[in-house]
Amino acid sequence: MTVEVLAGLSRPIIMGVLLGGLYALIALGLSMVFGVMKLINVAHGDLMIFSAYFAYAVMTTWGIDPILSLTMGIPLWFGLGFVIQKYAMSRAFGISMEAPLIIAFGISLILQSLAQIIWSPYSRALEAPYALGGISLGITTVPKTYLLSFVAALVVMLVLREFLRRSYLGKAIVAASQDKRGAELVGINTGRVYAFAFGIAMATAAIAGVFFGLTFPFTPTSGVGFLIIAFGVIIVGGLGSMLGTFIGGIVLGLTQTLSGYFLGAATQMLFVYLIVFLVLAVRPQGIFGR
Amino acid sequence: MKVPINQLRLMLPVVLVAVLAIFPIIGTPRVWLLYLFLFFVYLTMANMWNLLAGYSGLTFLGPAALIGLAGYTLVIVTWNDLPFYLGIIGGGIVAAAFAALIAVPTFRMRGIYFAIGTLVVPEALRYVFYLWKPVGGEMQGGGAGYMIKGIGELSLTEFYWLALAIGIVSIFLMRIILRSKLGLGLAAIRDSDRAAASSGVDVFRLKLYAFVIAAFVTGAAGAIFYIYQGYIAPASAFNIRWLMTCLLATVIGGIRTEEGPIVGTIIVVFLHFLLARYGALSLLIQGVILVVIMLLIPEGIVGFVRKTRAYRSLAALAAGR
Amino acid sequence: MEKHSQEMSQDALLKISNIDAFYGTLQALWGVSLVVKPGEIVALIGSNASGKSTLINTISGVIHPAQGTIEFDGRDISTLDPFQIVTLGISQVPEGRRMFPEMTILDNLILGSYNRQARSNREQNLKRVYEHFPILEERKNQLAKTLSGGEQQMLVIGRGLMSDPKLMLFDEISLGLAPKVTDELYKAVREIRAKGITILLVEQNVRRSLKEADRAYIIKAGRIVLGKNVAELQEEEIKQAYFGV
Repeated sequence: MTVEVLAGLSRPIIMGVLLGGLYALIALGLSMVFGVMKLINVAHGDLMIFSAYFAYAVMTTWGIDPILSLTMGIPLWFGLGFVIQKYAMSRAFGISMEAPLIIAFGISLILQSLAQIIWSPYSRALEAPYALGGISLGITTVPKTYLLSFVAALVVMLVLREFLRRSYLGKAIVAASQDKRGAELVGINTGRVYAFAFGIAMATAAIAGVFFGLTFPFTPTSGVGFLIIAFGVIIVGGLGSMLGTFIGGIVLGLTQTLSGYFLGAATQMLFVYLIVFLVLAVRPQGIFGR
Repeated sequence: MKVPINQLRLMLPVVLVAVLAIFPIIGTPRVWLLYLFLFFVYLTMANMWNLLAGYSGLTFLGPAALIGLAGYTLVIVTWNDLPFYLGIIGGGIVAAAFAALIAVPTFRMRGIYFAIGTLVVPEALRYVFYLWKPVGGEMQGGGAGYMIKGIGELSLTEFYWLALAIGIVSIFLMRIILRSKLGLGLAAIRDSDRAAASSGVDVFRLKLYAFVIAAFVTGAAGAIFYIYQGYIAPASAFNIRWLMTCLLATVIGGIRTEEGPIVGTIIVVFLHFLLARYGALSLLIQGVILVVIMLLIPEGIVGFVRKTRAYRSLAALAAGR
Repeated sequence: MEKHSQEMSQDALLKISNIDAFYGTLQALWGVSLVVKPGEIVALIGSNASGKSTLINTISGVIHPAQGTIEFDGRDISTLDPFQIVTLGISQVPEGRRMFPEMTILDNLILGSYNRQARSNREQNLKRVYEHFPILEERKNQLAKTLSGGEQQMLVIGRGLMSDPKLMLFDEISLGLAPKVTDELYKAVREIRAKGITILLVEQNVRRSLKEADRAYIIKAGRIVLGKNVAELQEEEIKQAYFGV
């Protein structure tokens, strides 16, 4: 019996890792914003879903492929993030500790209702001919979308990591997260750096939205659940580490698929939330955190 | 607000309450009663949220957990043929016990982590109640939904009085707590956990008291809501809209003020009714209001009014005299 | 000291005129005037909480004066943001050896040349920093937090040099360091001055700073109580100004 169980394990493990990649993709932007500005962007999930809707609109109106639509989506979302940080969040920080949280909630509400008004509460999905069906990985077959998302996540993670390590702006973002005053004294315009960081985070949310939309159907309220998963990922993986976020995603993905395998599909999300809660209580800085 | 010992000022609230109490008997229109019912239920929740987030520094994002749990307690109680008012008390107790339970892990979480942690709790509970059928086999609606039993003979009048009662309780509680030693301790904790602890304040215990009291009252209000609504399902019970309502009411009215939740709830319920048939549009407007208020008048309406000169001269007049 | 500053203010590089500065509602500086001429080393002496760091932070733009003006190279900088002031040529070596702990020495130094003008001279400036402090080159790929106190101070000074400054503000560089290390640091300070950079030096260690400086100001409780050429300073005057009632 054990042999069967172990043999059967290969599929949930592979699926868990791939799913984890998608979760990591969703969380990468959030991780950067949280690491740099200690800001909970509770609208992150909704911004991601809105990107899926945008791709949907583009797909149904002009027949443009969702991934291709990112050529519009990424700059749009970057600009949106830049503006939100510069004109709303930066002001909010000066007001009180809860203010950025509350404003993000407001943005979340606005996005959810806009999506519902424009596209109705019924679920939608993104489609692309190359993303249909499964692909064989030797031991088992997985949906192509899972694989695509995993690859996208890996690419984005590596790009972000190198950006933060090698470019002036990237280093400035890291520096500002370690010592804001010190960064200013070195000549860094922290206001602009924060706006860039937020914009980059939004751009990754746009990417995440498209790949998410290709993999799962979505509704205007899908965002909230993924906000929590995204936070779970960055908390488990540790703040300020792109690689940590990636691994955190895989941990949560595995948690979900393995608990589903051993205890039934209905308990999956419950265990994911439980792990997030536990890590928050015991080691909030996560596995890789400082 | 300093209240001078003035006969008129003491009489005013009593008269107000009496008037409100007799509303259902004197033939007030149903819509008004409904409005006031929701007002008092939401006011209670907003007040308790204000106590935690505004006055104690506990940005608690999981009121849905308490409300949902209380609602399901009500289900268990009424399905076992016990009277509904025991369900209300039971709901409060279960919510309070749950709060005490999660206090231990969540109070370890600092600031922003506490917020996320408490956001996770209702989500987890939602899944728990998808899986766990606490009573019988009757499913209503999309899975794991229940009707509340034993409330058939109740009319809007009774619902109204229940809501009025809990609403007044919440206002009284705020008054008393904020002026007590507990309130003082909470204010110190809100300013700085560490400073308070080094001044001898038992931070954990005070936070626990505030949390448990707020949970009990919030739970009771939730149970009362479900008595009116008549059925409960996990998706709507553990929904983030409970947090939204508390947040909106408190922020619009003025966080960290006693009158704030009152003013805010009036507006929130008004919007709710005014925009009811526009569904998503009403949420959109509420979201916009939230952002605009936070950016322009973060101290809320009450906070803003207090700063104006007109108010200050009025207040000086009333107190100085 | 008003007269002294006025006498000095022709062709001053930095001219502070009568500034008041507040932390929120708390006043920290009262009518402070101070002048630094190109090529000088000026010492700012005072005990703890005398307002030394406040003054340095006001020059750097972290705080803005409620009253009075700060002129640098003929231009009023009293309302500028910190990063703009760095671009104009004032670099602060902050107290407490404040660096980016989780970044490498090299990254810390590179960030010093963040502002556009300095970027093109980066490699040149880096070489110069390594000349002053060879140990930084040795350890350039180590994380800044692994350095000793003295090495961290060298890093912060080096980082300050990377922005191509005309004026450098040193805030308590000898604090908590052994005398031998302090000697090395001040040797570097002299080398920096020799390269043409003007220096304003804040120190609690009176003797040390007077050894290096051309002129000195003494600040007490947010006010300048004395400003003179070091050569003309009497021991009695210093004691009076520093400790006296």
